[in-house]
Formats: sequence, structure tokens, C-alpha cells
Amino acid sequence: MTDVVVVGAGVAATAAALSAAREHARVVLVDGGTGASSLATGAIDALPWQNAAAASDREASANGPAARSGAVDPRGRAVLDALGGYALPDRPALLLTTAGIARRADGHDAGLLNVAPLAGRRIGVVRCERPGWDAAAFAAAWGDSFVVVDATVLRYLDERVLPDGDFAARCDDAGRLGWLSERLREAVATAGGSPIAALVLPPSLGIERARAAELSARVGLPCGEALAAPGGPAGLRFERARDRALEAAGVERVRARASEVTRESDRWCVALDGGRTALADALVLATGGLIGGGIEYAPSEAMIASVLPPFARVPFRATVAIEGGSPLGMHGRPLELPGSLFGVAPESLAWPFAREAPMDRVGVLADADGRVSPGLYAAGDLVADAPRTWLHALESGARAGTNAARDAGAATSGHALATAGGAASPSRP
Amino acid sequence: MVQGESVPPPVSLPPLQRAMPVAEEGLATTSTDVVVVGGGVNGVGVARDFALRGLRVVLFERNDLAFGASGNSSGMIHGGVRYLSQAPHVTESSCRDSGYIQRIAPHLLFRLPFLMPIRNGAMGRIALELIDAYFRAYDDYQPLKRGEPHCRLDATDVARLEPGLAGTLLGGITFDEWGIDGARLCVLNALDAIENGARVHVHTTVETIARAPGGDGPVRYVVEARDRSTGERVCVGARVVVNATGAWSPVTASLGALPQARVRVRPGKGVHIVLDRRLSNYGILSEAIDGRQMFLMPWQNVSVIGTTDDDYYGDLDDVHATSEEVRYLVQGVARIFPSVREARAIGTYAGVRPTLYEYGRNEDALSRDHRVVDHAADGAPGVYSMIGGKLASYRMFAQELCDRVATADFEVTVPCATHTRRLPGGEGIPDATALAVEHGLTPVAARRLVYRHGGRARRILERVARTPTERDVTCPCEPVLEAEVRHVIREEMARTVYDVARRTRLGLGACGGMRCAARCGQIVAQERQLPPSEGGRMAREFVETQARARVVAMGPAQARQEALALAHLRSSLGESRDA
Ligand SMILES: Cc1cc2nc3c(=O)[nH]c(=O)nc-3n(C[C@H](O)[C@H](O)[C@H](O)COP(=O)(O)OP(=O)(O)OC[C@H]3O[C@@H](n4cnc5c(N)ncnc54)[C@H](O)[C@@H]3O)c2cc1C
Ligand SMILES: Cc1cc2nc3c(=O)[nH]c(=O)nc-3n(C[C@H](O)[C@H](O)[C@H](O)COP(=O)(O)OP(=O)(O)OC[C@H]3O[C@@H](n4cnc5c(N)ncnc54)[C@H](O)[C@@H]3O)c2cc1C
Repeated sequence: MTDVVVVGAGVAATAAALSAAREHARVVLVDGGTGASSLATGAIDALPWQNAAAASDREASANGPAARSGAVDPRGRAVLDALGGYALPDRPALLLTTAGIARRADGHDAGLLNVAPLAGRRIGVVRCERPGWDAAAFAAAWGDSFVVVDATVLRYLDERVLPDGDFAARCDDAGRLGWLSERLREAVATAGGSPIAALVLPPSLGIERARAAELSARVGLPCGEALAAPGGPAGLRFERARDRALEAAGVERVRARASEVTRESDRWCVALDGGRTALADALVLATGGLIGGGIEYAPSEAMIASVLPPFARVPFRATVAIEGGSPLGMHGRPLELPGSLFGVAPESLAWPFAREAPMDRVGVLADADGRVSPGLYAAGDLVADAPRTWLHALESGARAGTNAARDAGAATSGHALATAGGAASPSRP
Repeated sequence: MVQGESVPPPVSLPPLQRAMPVAEEGLATTSTDVVVVGGGVNGVGVARDFALRGLRVVLFERNDLAFGASGNSSGMIHGGVRYLSQAPHVTESSCRDSGYIQRIAPHLLFRLPFLMPIRNGAMGRIALELIDAYFRAYDDYQPLKRGEPHCRLDATDVARLEPGLAGTLLGGITFDEWGIDGARLCVLNALDAIENGARVHVHTTVETIARAPGGDGPVRYVVEARDRSTGERVCVGARVVVNATGAWSPVTASLGALPQARVRVRPGKGVHIVLDRRLSNYGILSEAIDGRQMFLMPWQNVSVIGTTDDDYYGDLDDVHATSEEVRYLVQGVARIFPSVREARAIGTYAGVRPTLYEYGRNEDALSRDHRVVDHAADGAPGVYSMIGGKLASYRMFAQELCDRVATADFEVTVPCATHTRRLPGGEGIPDATALAVEHGLTPVAARRLVYRHGGRARRILERVARTPTERDVTCPCEPVLEAEVRHVIREEMARTVYDVARRTRLGLGACGGMRCAARCGQIVAQERQLPPSEGGRMAREFVETQARARVVAMGPAQARQEALALAHLRSSLGESRDA
């Protein structure tokens, strides 16, 4: 029996567990494996890019501040501090992507180079034979201030083909980092023209933690990675930081997948695979969206060739069944059963081109505090109608974890939630 | 106006009898012998034929080469087996022409053995006898296209050849056909036309066809076209205009105020589902619940299920499959090949056939499925429309038109050479394995490269030799080398990420462009000296269009992949920052 059980192991779940632990709750985290957080590329945004683009249209200057609706929730910031290795600058960051774009972000993994403070200065793009790394093309695409710098970055032959993560792991070795810093120093010294103010490298700077600061100190100028394909070092660094922070906060971790949540004599009962169960006063579901696997798309096509189903089905389902039916919804309302046996025609979902992209909106219905029903919370990509971004996962997770811990505290001190009616949300600081 | 009883008319208003407008003096800045409207297989086929006879040709294509039916067909070069009983001479000429296409583009064809299982039903034995006899007659023509004779199989043989078949079978018949990449066929024809002096404008739409001021000189018509991305106008004077716009033909005719009814086609929409691998080494014929024939066939490195045929009166520039159609096809094929249920669909594509309107109603239309319409009868001598046709008979169709026009309008007597002269890359086709060793490529990459480019694969690898970084694999699914992407932009008129995909199959594999679209956009922008944001926009457009084609066939696993592709795009392209 614990105070709070958190299901999931992504950004939202981590934020919930750490925030609940800060409230002195006993926390168990049910880790179902890799999710979107491990695949993300290290940029931290508050708004999805369609909205961000629309917001910038309204702005007079394309270089103005990003349209973040407000300051980052202090509980979210506390989680970031506990994780370490992330930057949330006051002014929006400008990150370089291997798609040839300098794009804005609210924050970033500390391994990435933020070029916003370097406006107008010469930035070197390190040339090396890594897959998909075309320094000349990037320099041309990112802007006038970028120049190609020739440096020896690869030390062994296999590094031409090694996946980003494996390659980055080599820089966790202090010796290797020292070797690299010398090569970069030489390269900067021999580069002609006006002085180089910073260096952009392919994703390569460590997976235990970001080695960008260390490298920058040794080279004598800011060095950092460009943002690259999913499954790269930034996601691995998230996992390492999460593991360290959860352990430091004393969060117990169970490796399992949850299948069902029921309410039993004022407690939440989570059924885990392998026949185990976890009991808690309050529960946070942070199982992710489609990518994390918390919501599944079950289209009519998956069953067409067998006999017709006797009943209509909702084309989405949550991997964790919640007692009392599906809590999934969209546009603030429960998801309706479609009229035909075949379900919603997927093309009518018009995903992902419509602004109101349904697959990005379907999720568990929760209020502004993340509450689904008394003592039950949802956070991150799992939540309906919320932006599927890193910052949202962080803030919603922190909020849900804090509130869950307080509910649990209330429950333990005798104020049964069921009688409190649940409708009145606990006052927030 | 009396309409046909069985097929609803495409337009409800009676055609207006307008006269073709006369162009302003001095509008045409250049002149040519022939303007071809449409860059499908018929348009490029005609352009090549004219060019090889020494005539000057300008071709306009509204979208990209092979954007319409030609790039969205089932990709079969068949021998006209269905004409065998009524018009065996059509079967013979179809088979002979299939042989010619093999001769001019040997690298582009692949053998496609078909298996027609016969169910053990009431009529089973009779059906088997009849079909056997029918294909015995077809065997006479098979040598013309290097086809193997058919085989009659008993149930055990069928089960051994294809264990995936379900139901109790009496036996089956095999017959031999050939597959082709229709988009590449179009590109190669266009290239050869260009190499023989033709000019080809892609993404350029014809807006009006007008009479030239001053009548019947070498220039009788002025064709006005507009580049759809730059907005630039191109006006060309010509003696002959060929409307080769397939399902768009009536629309094109109206651009010259010609009666639409004369070029009416029945627009039959057909969809295909692409599965991620070759499920069988045979094309398998099956019947839908309503008795319509459909197939599951191995096609290049994937399997394709096809196809439907429904009247279509929607936007021809935006044809796509619906989940209803996908369901119908999967259900039909699953009856005979149940494991398609578990197979992974990675996409769909759709096209509109320009079927002859009166097809099946009169003898002439029955014996051949294409026709040249001479608009002299509408007061526009020298304007022709090509109606109907097949990928398999494009060369013959082009020859028919060119033979007629060369003598009637130009007094040119140079004989047709399109069946003897090889298409670009059709000569000196290298051995893929040797090429792989020589250039340090994976054998798969080399084989795919040689399939697409034949002898010209060497040109692409010369790029690699000059710039070793171009050995980078831009699209790992297909796979496509960076050098090939650059080659098709420089040498094959690709202007967008989608155009590159049409020519190389980049981004059409399982990952839906997640791993290659952004990089490809970058290369396109670089090669065409566009702002990088333009490359990003093209990549986004490509992935989103592909997503829409996939979503109708999407299972849970694909939904995840789709979400991942979108997230990747969001994070790497972000918002466009180029002011
Ligand atoms: C390629 C990519 C690029 C991205 N780029 C950006 C970006 O640039 N900027 C930005 O702001 N955001 C970006 N995102 C989005 C961001 O990463 C996500 O919004 C965020 O990570 C979501 O976190 P989460 O904790 O809600 O979900 P996830 O990280 O998906 O975590 C869900 C967790 O729940 C677990 N789980 C699921 N079902 C069960 C079950 N039944 N039992 C137990 N556990 C279960 C999963 O195993 C997983 O651990 C990107 C995402 C991806 C994939
Ligand atoms: C589903 C399906 C399956 C098929 N399977 C086979 C098969 O297996 N074997 C076979 O032999 N045949 C097959 N066919 C038939 C074959 O694909 C077509 O008959 C053939 O491609 C027609 O070519 P086309 O050039 O006439 O038309 P299209 O390829 O449609 O070309 C017309 C072109 O004109 C352009 N255009 C339109 N308006 C303008 C304008 N104003 N200005 C400039 N350009 C314009 C369009 O963009 C288009 O590219 C199939 C067809 C379909 C739809």
C-alpha cells in the first residue's frame, strides 16, 4: 500500500512521481518501457508547431519571442532541476535541425547548441562523415553566419556508420572528450576568416549526461549538437537523468504494464501483468499517446476480414481500462460510438492535416488540474485536447503528481475523498 | 440531348457550341511543329515518336510526368488476353508490342507469373477446362513477348506453389505477364524526346488553345500555358496540337472551345493497396463478393492489391482511396488469400482510367480500347485527342497518331522508330552485383538502382566517384542514394520531393518518409537554389499527402508510425523561420 501510484515512465510520469515525492508521498512508478520521451529529440516546446507557426504569423517579427502563454509552472521547473541537464532560458532558444532549419524552442536538452544568444556571430559547422550529416548543406541552410569547419571528429572507422546513440556514448569517456576538444581547438585555430564563436556538431555528446558544457569549457567556446532523428542521444540522456532522479527521490520502480484500474474500498487498485496488483490512495496515469502506447488506435480495418463485430466500437482505446467504461474523449466530450459497425472512417479523422487533428486530440478527459475523477489523474500525451509536447507533459505531470500526493495525504488523514465530493478541487498554491 | 442509358453523363449541361478563340497578334513568342498537352504515358509516347521523326515538339504537363493514370496504374504490360475470343488480332498486336517494350527498356520490366486458382464448386471442372483451352490459345502469342506457356495445375501443385491459398481448390492455371514501373516508363520517354530535341515543361498547365491570327501557315494554333509554381506564362505557336490528357480530356478540349462530348471518357477510378513485402511470388487472381476480379501481386519489392472501377466525377488533381474501397479490396482478396489480413499496408494509390465512353457498345470500340479523335470535324484541323489507351499499348497508340499526323499535316515520311530505338538506360545494362562490389554499395541498393536506371546507373555512380558523400543513403527503405536524388533533379525534371518519390520510390516504403523527406527536401532546395524553408515545406507536404493515402489502410502499428513521423517532422522542421 502506497500513497501514490504513477503508471508510465515518460516525462509526465517522471514529473508526477518527483512532484509527489516532494510532497512527501510514498510513490511507486509502474514502468512500461520506452515511450515518446525516449524518442524525442531534445527540444522543449509548449505549443505544437502548427500553432507556433500560426502564432508567429500574428507576430510582427519572425524573430520575436516565442508565443509561450505564461511562465513555466514552478513545480515543473523544480522537476527539471531535479533531472538536471535541461535549459529553460528566459528568451526562446534557437535550435539547429538536420532538416536544415533553425527553429525556436522554449527550452532544450543541454547537449544541444542554442544559437539565439550568438546572433550575428560566426558559427562553425563541424564537417565529418556521419550518416545524414552534410555540413556544407547545413551551413548554407542555417544562414549566412554559418561556415564549415574541418575537424577530425571520428576516431575509429566504425564511427562512419554507428547509430547516433552508440556514437554519442563514446564521448562519455573523459579521454575521448579531451581528444575531441584538442581536435576542435586545432580546427578553430586553423580556420581562416573572422573568429569562430561557436561549434555545431552532429548528435554525439554523451548519453550518461550531456557533455556539451564540459567540451565548451575545454575548447573555449560554446559547442553543442544539432537536433536530429528520433531515437538519438537526447532521448537516452532523458532516460539516464530520469533513472538517477527517481532513485535519489526514493521512488520505487516496478517494471510492468498496467491493464486495469479499479476502485476497491476507497483505494485504487492497479492490475499489472504477471498477476500482480498495486494499491494506492491516489493514482496518476501518464501512459502517453499513440507513440507511448497509452492510447491505441483500433481501426475498423483491423477486423474487417473476420466476422462483423456485433457492436459498434470506438476507434480508439486506452491500454489501461478504467472501471466504469472508457474515459476517452475529444473536444471536451466523451468519444461517441460511431454510427456504423465499421467505426469512424479514418479519412474523416483527416489526420494529420486538419488543424483539429483528431488523433492528436483524443485522450483521457481531465480537468485543468489533470483530475479524471477523485483521486485519479491523467498527465502528458494521454490527456485529451492538450498539446502533445514535452513542456506540457512536464507541467501536467508535475501538477497531477502534486495534487495526487495531496489527495493521498487527505485520504490518509481521514478526509475520505469520496465524501468530499471530488467536485471541489483542492486549492492550489 | 440524349444520354447513354447505363452511364450517367459527366456534365449535366449540354455542350455550348462556341468557336475557338483567336489569339492576339504576337502572343506566341516561339513556335514549334507539335504541342502535346499532358505528360502521361500517351503524351510522352507521342512526344518521343514525333521527336524521333525529326519534328519539333513542346510538351506541357500540368503536374508532374506520370501524375495521372500512368503513375497510378497496376503496372502491368499485358498481352491483351481478354480480346482473344472476339479479336485475336488485337491480342497478337498487344503481345508484339509488349515484346517491343521489353526490347526498348529491358531493365524496366519484370516477369509476373499469375496464378488463377479454380474453386471446387459446381462449375469448377467446366471452368477449369474452358480456362485451360482459352490460355492454350493465348500460348500461341506468348513467344512474341518472351512469355512462358500456361500451365494447368491440380490442387496439390497449386498448394505447393502457393501454400497461402485458402479453400478447397480443384486446381489452377498459371499464365505469364510482365510488370513495369509506369512512372519510370513516362520519364524515360520524356527524356528520350528531350534528347531528340523536344522541350518538356512540367508543372505547367495549358490554359487556352486558340487559333493563330492569320490562319493556315506553319502556325495554326497558339497554346498558352502557365508555370504553376512561378506563375510564368509560356505561349507557343504550333501547327498541330495533341490533347493527351487522359481523364482530363474533356476539360482540355473545352480550353480550345471544342465540344466535350466528342472526347468523352468514362472516368473509372481504381485504387490499389500497397503491402510492405512480397507475400507471394505469383500474382493471384481472386473475385470480390460481387464477382469482380481482383488481384494480389508481387510488384518490385512490395505487394499490391487491386483494383476497383467506379465512376468518378471528383477533382482529378486530388484522387485518393477511401477506407470503404480498402475494405472492399481486402475482403475480396482475403477470401482466397487470408493472410492479407495480417499483412501490413503501407499505403494506397488511386488513378482514374480514361475509358472509352462507348466501350463495349460498338464493334470498333470493342476491338481496341483507344481512339484518335480528329477535331477537323469540329472545325479545328490539326487538333487531335487521344482517348483511352493502356500503359501496355501506349507505343502502338502513339505510332498510330504519329503515322497519321506526319503524313497528313507535315508530309514527313520518316518511319516510326520507337520500337527499335532503346529508351535511355536500355543499353549496356550493368551487372548489379559487380556494380555493388565496384562502388561499395549494398547489393540491394545496386539492384534497385540498376532496375530504375539501367545503363544510366553508371552516370549516377560517376557522381559518387566524384563526390563520395553522395553515397549516403537518403531513403533507407527503398534504398535511394543521395547521388540518385540529385541525378533525378538535374537530369529527370524532378522539382519537388514528390517528384523525386515518383522517380525513385523514395519515401514510399514502410516509414512513410519519416527518415528521408526532410533530407530530400533539403537536397531539392539545394539543387534548385531555393530557400531552405521551401525544401521543408515540400517535405511536409509530401509526408502529409502520404499520410492521407495511408490513413485509409492504417492499422494500429501504422497509426503509431504515423504519429512518430509527425512528431519527428514537428521537431526537426519546426515552424518555418525564413522571413
Ligand atoms: C520523434 C519525436 C519528436 C518530438 N519532438 C518534440 C519537440 O521537438 N518538442 C516537444 O515539445 N515535444 C516533442 N515531442 C513530444 C514529447 O516528447 C512528448 O509530448 C512527451 O515526451 C510525452 O511524454 P509522456 O510522458 O506523456 O508520454 P511518453 O513519453 O510516451 O510515456 C508514456 C509511458 O507510458 C508507458 N505505458 C504505456 N502504456 C502503459 C501501460 N499499459 N502500463 C504501463 N506503462 C505504460 C510507456 O511505456 C511509456 O513509458 C516529440 C516526440 C517524438 C516521439
Ligand atoms: C487503377 C488503374 C489501373 C490500371 N492498370 C493498368 C495496367 O495494369 N496495364 C495497363 O496497360 N494499363 C493500365 N491502366 C490504364 C493506363 O494507366 C492508362 O490508360 C494510361 O496511363 C493513360 O495514360 P494517359 O497519358 O492517357 O493519361 P494520364 O496518365 O492520366 O495523363 C494525363 C496527364 O495530363 C495532365 N494534364 C491534364 N490537364 C492538363 C493541362 N491542362 N495541361 C497540361 N497537362 C494536363 C495530367 O496532369 C496528367 O498527367 C490502369 C489505369 C488505372 C486507373
